Amino acid sequence: MSLKENLYLNFIKEDRYMYLVSGLGNTLLITIVAVVVGILVGFLLAYIRTTHDKTGKWKVANLFAQLYITVIRGTPMVLQLLIVYFVIFASVNVPKIIVAFIAFGLNSGAYVAEIIRAGIMSIDQGQFEAGASLGFSYTQSMLYFILPQAIKNVLPALGNEMIVLLKETSVAGYIAMNDLTRGADIIRSQTYSAFAPLLMAAAIYLFFVLIFDSLVKKLERNLKNSDH
Amino acid sequence: MTTDQKTPLIEVKHLSKAFSNSRHDLEVLTDINVNFYEGDVAFIVGPSGAGKSTFLRCLNRLEEATAGEIYFEGENILGNKVDIDRHRQKMGMVFQQFNLFPHLSVMSNLTIGPIKLQGISKEEAEERANKLLKRVKLEDRANSFPNQLSGGQKQRIAIARSLCMEPDVMLFDEPTSALDPEMVGEVLEVMRELAEDKMTMIVVTHEMAFAREVANRILFMADRQILEENDPVNFFENPKNERLRAFLDKMI
Repeated sequence: MSLKENLYLNFIKEDRYMYLVSGLGNTLLITIVAVVVGILVGFLLAYIRTTHDKTGKWKVANLFAQLYITVIRGTPMVLQLLIVYFVIFASVNVPKIIVAFIAFGLNSGAYVAEIIRAGIMSIDQGQFEAGASLGFSYTQSMLYFILPQAIKNVLPALGNEMIVLLKETSVAGYIAMNDLTRGADIIRSQTYSAFAPLLMAAAIYLFFVLIFDSLVKKLERNLKNSDH
Repeated sequence: MTTDQKTPLIEVKHLSKAFSNSRHDLEVLTDINVNFYEGDVAFIVGPSGAGKSTFLRCLNRLEEATAGEIYFEGENILGNKVDIDRHRQKMGMVFQQFNLFPHLSVMSNLTIGPIKLQGISKEEAEERANKLLKRVKLEDRANSFPNQLSGGQKQRIAIARSLCMEPDVMLFDEPTSALDPEMVGEVLEVMRELAEDKMTMIVVTHEMAFAREVANRILFMADRQILEENDPVNFFENPKNERLRAFLDKMI
């Protein structure tokens, strides 16, 4: 079979490329929503953890946050996805994509929390003191002085987390979600030809990783130019 | 001195401070009693490790005292239900390491406090800031960022930032210790003018000559306590305390 015939069989015949298109759509959608959920969860957890470390308050909340981060980071993503789908939402009928949003978002939140916490801890204590000496509360100092600097410092790490997340979503097939990987695999199972669909899917992941990467680099440059 | 009849702006009573960890307590301030009055330019000098900076930082509760009371404008600010943020607006502080906000322009460094905490308009805050920038002779640096400034300029901006809140007292924590020698003068000049304008100032410093010239009171701290207090002339000419005499001898 020539390459041309192979490509025709895998992508054109019976509109098989649509498996990749709709799969990619789901992959990107899950990634974007999970990034947003992850950042919200991550900020909340990082705020709890650093407030406890810096002021000694919020002992119970901190314990919960620590437990959450430990469990999420200490267990496989696939397993977390399966647990959310087959255990937590076992008796309720929730669309699979919502399950994916929640599972990937909560997972990412634990990693984002540690990234942001590291960013906050990297800012000199003198910045908090300067804010306090002017009359800013702890929360206000955090908002106006600490977080803007911390986020800029951890932007590369956050961008990396987004890239990891994009690739992690490839396990969504475990709950029969039609994501990009699953789409390629469906084609393979129909045509008994693995090479073209799998490599095409890999190329598409790589393409989007490169796009994410360049977006983050651009954002970094912009932030760098905004001060010195 | 007739200051005794006035109500003190800051009244420190039996202030003690210990840093504690699981193994032992380290006492750094022991039963300090002192008053500061409006218009005072009080300098605190003494050997390293005497507790000068810790004492100053207790005044606006950047350090929490272990025992005692501090009355600021009549209220015990060490009380449980005190809104310390409100009091801190009235107590400016200048740090050894400047602590400017590097992500904000010089203008924003000055105006963010008044805008966010005192609720004044941006225009009003910038007008106030421009006057202060002129006062510290950096009116042309409003749009610069802190990292573009020299150490002396940074510290002058830090002073202006504190003044922009229109505080009732200014606390200086070794404001020239982190500066290159040739930049010390410009910062001291700003402080001198501030003293001449009758700003109440409490200054921890090692600049003895400057203290003698500008202060109306000098306090000597050593061994966790204030061991002697006097006007500048008598402080240097007639030191009574043994530790102070030894300290002054070493200074020459």
